[in-house]
Amino acid sequence: MPVDAAADPFAPPPEGWVRVSPRLAFVRRAIGLALIVPIGALMTVLVALNGPAALAAVLALATLLLAGWLWWIVGRQVRAIGYCERDDDLVVTRGVMFRELVIVPYGRMQLVDVRGGPLARRYGMATLQLHTAAATTDAAIPGLPVAEAGRLRDRLAALGEARTAGL
Amino acid sequence: MSELATTPRRTHPLSPFARAGQGMSGVLIAVFVVARDVPGGVLVRLGLVVFLVFAVGAFGWISWWRTTFWFDDDGDLRIASGLFYRNERRLQLSRLQSVEVQRPLVARLIGLAEVRPEVAGGENAKVALAYLTETDAQALRAELLARAAGVRSGFAEAPVAEERPLVRVPPGDLAVSMLLNHWVLLFGIVGLGFLVGSLVTGHIGGFLAFVLASGLPGFSVVTSYLSYYDFTVAESADGLRLRSGLLSTRAQTVPPGRVQAVELAQPFLWRRKGWVRVQLNVAGSGGDGSDGSANTKGGVLLLPVAPTEVAHSLLGRVLPGVNLAGVALVAAPPAARKRAFFQYRQLAVGSDAQVFMARGGWLTRQLQVVPHARTQSVRVTQGPWQRLLGLATTHVDSTPGPVSPAARHRSAGEARVIAETQAGLARQARSSFRPERWAAPQEPSA
Repeated sequence: MPVDAAADPFAPPPEGWVRVSPRLAFVRRAIGLALIVPIGALMTVLVALNGPAALAAVLALATLLLAGWLWWIVGRQVRAIGYCERDDDLVVTRGVMFRELVIVPYGRMQLVDVRGGPLARRYGMATLQLHTAAATTDAAIPGLPVAEAGRLRDRLAALGEARTAGL
Repeated sequence: MSELATTPRRTHPLSPFARAGQGMSGVLIAVFVVARDVPGGVLVRLGLVVFLVFAVGAFGWISWWRTTFWFDDDGDLRIASGLFYRNERRLQLSRLQSVEVQRPLVARLIGLAEVRPEVAGGENAKVALAYLTETDAQALRAELLARAAGVRSGFAEAPVAEERPLVRVPPGDLAVSMLLNHWVLLFGIVGLGFLVGSLVTGHIGGFLAFVLASGLPGFSVVTSYLSYYDFTVAESADGLRLRSGLLSTRAQTVPPGRVQAVELAQPFLWRRKGWVRVQLNVAGSGGDGSDGSANTKGGVLLLPVAPTEVAHSLLGRVLPGVNLAGVALVAAPPAARKRAFFQYRQLAVGSDAQVFMARGGWLTRQLQVVPHARTQSVRVTQGPWQRLLGLATTHVDSTPGPVSPAARHRSAGEARVIAETQAGLARQARSSFRPERWAAPQEPSA
C-alpha cells in the first residue's frame, strides 16, 4: 500500500469527528480565571501599595496576558477534542501541542465510566472514561452532554459485551 | 469433585514459625530495645522478653488458625482470613495468569513452600498461601492450573504435569552477564579507584567513597545472582515453568496464551557475546521485587541471559507459530535522526499475520513483540518537535508491564496507516481467539 508520508496522522475518519460541547470551554475558562485573576490582582495591589508603580504595572499586564492566553488555548484545546463511533472501534482525538489519537476496539473495553464535577454537572456535561486492560489506553471524552454520555456508555457497554474477547 | 477440595483447609502448622523465622531478627531486636529501657532486675527484663516473644507468637498462631482456603461450587479458589474482621476473597481461576511456588530459605530448610496464584485485574490481586509442604504445594499448583484450564478434579487428584527442560542458564554466564553491565562496571571502576587511592594515601575517606560507589551495585549484583542462579525454563502440559534461586528458590508457571508482549533487550556490553535478556508482559502478574520474586510489576523475567538464537527458539514456544526472522522490518525515515539522534539507526518496525514488532534503543537495544490477538488499543501521538519534522509515534498498547511496544518516530502519514493496519489485524486475530479455559471441552459458540 503506498503511504503518503506527509498526510495528516490526525485526519478525521470518513464519518467525521463528533465535537464536544463548547460549554466545556466556558467551564474550563471559568476555573482557570478564578485562579489566575484573584492571585494576579492581589499581587498587583500589594506591590502597588508597597513597591514601585512600574512593577505593579508589569504584574497587572502579565496577569492580563496570562488570562488572555488561557482564554485562547482553552478554546483551541476544546475544539481539538473529538470522537467517532466506527463499526468496530471508538476513535478519540485531542491535544493541540501534544496531539493524540486513540483507537479503542469495542471488544477490548473492560469498563466505561461516566463522571462529572459539580461545575460540569451544573452545565449539563459529563466525562466518559474508557478502560481497557492496558493502563496506557487513557481514552476520556470530557464535555459530553449528559444524555449523550449516558447513551454512549450504554451503547459501548452493549457492544463491549457482544464482542468481548479474553485478555 | 472430591470432599477434600471443597472442605476448608489450613496451611501447614509450622507456617507461623517459618514466617516468624523470616522476620525473627527484626522482632528480636525490637524486643531487646524495648527490654533494655525497662527498669528492674535481669529477671524482670527476661520475663518481658519471654512475654513479648510469646505474644507475637500467639498472634501469628491465631492468624494462621483463622486462615482457611477451599474451592467453591464454581470451582474458584476462596481464602478466608482475619482475626476479628473476617475477610473472604475469591480468585476467579478463569483469569489465572500464573502460579508461583516460592521457597524462602527458612521455609526451604524445613521443607515448606509458598503458593502465589496471580489473577488478572483488581488492585489487591496478590494472594500468597504460606506455607504448605512441598508435595501439597505442587498438588495445589497442579489443581489451580487444571481448574484454570477448565478441568475439575479433587485436591491432589490433578496430575502433576511432567516437565521438559528447554533452556538452562549456566551460572558462569549469569555471573559474567551481571558484571558486563555498563552501570555496574562504571561504579565498580570508580569505586576501585577510590580504594586504591585510599590504600596509597592511607586516608579513610577513599575507603568510604569506595563503599558508597560500589556498595549498592555490588549488593544488587549479588542478590540478583542469588535469585537468578540456575535459571531454568521448562515446558509442561500446564504451561511454561521458570525455576531459579540458590538460597531461596522459586518456580513460576505461566499457562499457555497468557503472554501479552515480549521484549528482547541487549545491553551495550553484551553485543560481542550475542546475549539477550527476555521479559514478558503477563496481565496482573509479578511482584514489585520486594517479595523475593524475580519479576517487575506486570512482568515476568523469561530469561536473565541467553544467546540470541536460544532466545529466538524459546520465543517460538512462548508465542506458537511466530517466526521472528520472518518479519520484515522497515527503518524509520531520515527525519527521525533529528528527533532520536542516538537510537535512529536501530529504529524499525514490522508486522506479519501474527505479531507486531518494533526495534529501538541506543546503549541497550530492544526488540518488542506483541501478538495481534493481545493488542489492547492503538494510539498515535505527536509532540511539537515531531510535528516540525513531520514525524509521529504509534503506540501498540499492552497490559501494564516492562514492555511498552511502539513504532517510534515514523513519518506522520505512515504512523496513521500503521495504527489503522494494527487495529484491523488485531480485530482479525481476536475473532479467531482461543478460549480462556484452554483444556475445557469446546462449547458451541453462538
